[in-house]
Amino acid sequence: MLQTLAFGLSIGAIYALMALAIGMIYSTTRILNFCHASIIMVGAMTAYWCIGVYHLPYWVGVLAAIIVNTIINFIIYYTCLKGLGDLLSNVNWIITLFGMSVVLNNVARMVFGANQNPFPYLFNGASITVGDATVLWHEIFTIVFAVVIGVTYQQICQKTKFGRALRAVSFKPQTAKLMGISSNLIIQLCFMLAAVVAAIGGVLIAPTTFASFSMTTTIGLKGYAAALIGGLGDTKGAFVGGFLLGLIECIITLFIPAGLKDAVSFVLMILVIIFLPGGVLSAKIFTHGRSATEKV
Amino acid sequence: MARLLEVQDMRFAYGKTEVIHGISFYIEEGEIVTLIGANGAGKSTTLNALSGLQRIASGSILYQGHDISKESPQSLVKKGIRLVPEGRQIFPAHTVEENLLLGAYTEKSKDAIRDRMESMFNQFPRLRERRKQFGGTLSGGEQQMLAIARALMTEPTLLMLDEPSLGLAPIIVDEVMQLLASFKGTGLTVLLVEQMANQALEISDRAYVLETGNMVMDGTSAEVAGDPRVIEAYLGNV
Ligand SMILES: Nc1ncnc2c1ncn2[C@@H]1O[C@H](COP(=O)(O)OP(=O)(O)OP(=O)(O)O)[C@@H](O)[C@H]1O
Ligand SMILES: [Mg+2]
Repeated sequence: MLQTLAFGLSIGAIYALMALAIGMIYSTTRILNFCHASIIMVGAMTAYWCIGVYHLPYWVGVLAAIIVNTIINFIIYYTCLKGLGDLLSNVNWIITLFGMSVVLNNVARMVFGANQNPFPYLFNGASITVGDATVLWHEIFTIVFAVVIGVTYQQICQKTKFGRALRAVSFKPQTAKLMGISSNLIIQLCFMLAAVVAAIGGVLIAPTTFASFSMTTTIGLKGYAAALIGGLGDTKGAFVGGFLLGLIECIITLFIPAGLKDAVSFVLMILVIIFLPGGVLSAKIFTHGRSATEKV
Repeated sequence: MARLLEVQDMRFAYGKTEVIHGISFYIEEGEIVTLIGANGAGKSTTLNALSGLQRIASGSILYQGHDISKESPQSLVKKGIRLVPEGRQIFPAHTVEENLLLGAYTEKSKDAIRDRMESMFNQFPRLRERRKQFGGTLSGGEQQMLAIARALMTEPTLLMLDEPSLGLAPIIVDEVMQLLASFKGTGLTVLLVEQMANQALEISDRAYVLETGNMVMDGTSAEVAGDPRVIEAYLGNV
């Protein structure tokens, strides 16, 4: 049971990181970055090439993933979004981003091949035994990293000048500009942060999914589910949504055929969207009847 | 007196629809100027163009002698042009203090920001009481005061206000107008946009009347306030 719990929470932590990155971009642009799963994959494949093929140190792989992801996120911003004008008043971004994710997946398949490549766990797969359960240090650290990243981001948003500006852009880019804030710069920084989070999430999940061009096809969708369950653009919500989804999936496979696991996640997401459109944290028991004005 | 702002033959279009048809006006240093106009006349469009939010189609905007029509809002804020936008646009999920800090976003010196904040709190004691409260929880009048204080955080040269009286109780409107009148002689220049213009004309030096994208009248505030057409169209519900 502890083993299942640890695995569920570590998968949940990955969902949470995805939801967080999706939320970072959503909060300043009001778009859902449909490329996010592909970006995670590209980062993880980059890291795999550094670590698995060229035998470079682990941290070099992570750094390379961060750099490649950042570049790709900027390319996405400039090619798929910048030229579309006001993103609130048209939905062309849905098409451009979907298109871009297909392009990324195909190019990745061509560049990296179609193999499923093993990817190293942190600490070479060392584990700790508690009673009759064996928990990987990798899983524990995945959870810890995710929480540390989430808390750090939340602190940045609440306590720093950049965070204040980010929340201002998130409310209304026009008004933020009147304060002398370059809304464009803030949005680009959000894309950069999202790229970093994607790189870290990618190397942490790759040992489980294996590194391949299709590693994030299913898991990627869960990121959006977690984001919507937790409430889009809500940092705490991303973690609540992510962990909830990871746990429910692992526990539910004890009772239903594993093939139905993914369906359950999305049924859950649909139910939350119908009954709590603002995410689970918008439920009365969390807000004490007040509206959740303070997001991010 | 020197002209702080001079707009010459400014045209503005949303897409292909021209809504400002070549207007000219000027503001001298230290003046309070009112721009009157009905719904849809193009008042907000004019202010947005002056603050760099939108690009004009042709004409020029001279500020301190230089054309600023292609500059970004950030650089205009740094040059001392600040807009208090229509509907106040307080950041609802930022505290009062954070709203003021955002107002001082382009200011690098921490000391200067602290001094400015202190002087705003002295000028608006209500804001000091509510410094930790979210902007969205303030009353309309308090929000308008905050919006003005926020714009004053960088000690602007030209303060532009888009219908500051909108949706406020008459007694609060008086307060806002008195505040603006008190800027007279402090070196601050004010461009005030209003629809119902009684009080605005009382506190301003000169006025312009904008009708569907054309400047149809200008003069001292007394002259404009005395014009029968203005009385009928804009000074109605006294
Ligand atoms: N974003 C926009 N796109 C297209 N047309 C616009 C846009 N904003 C304003 N307009 C049009 O431009 C004209 C001027 O609008 P503007 O908002 O400047 O008027 P206003 O004088 O500020 O009016 P109000 O008193 O209602 O605020 C109007 O005809 C309006 O319909
Ligand atoms: Mg207007």
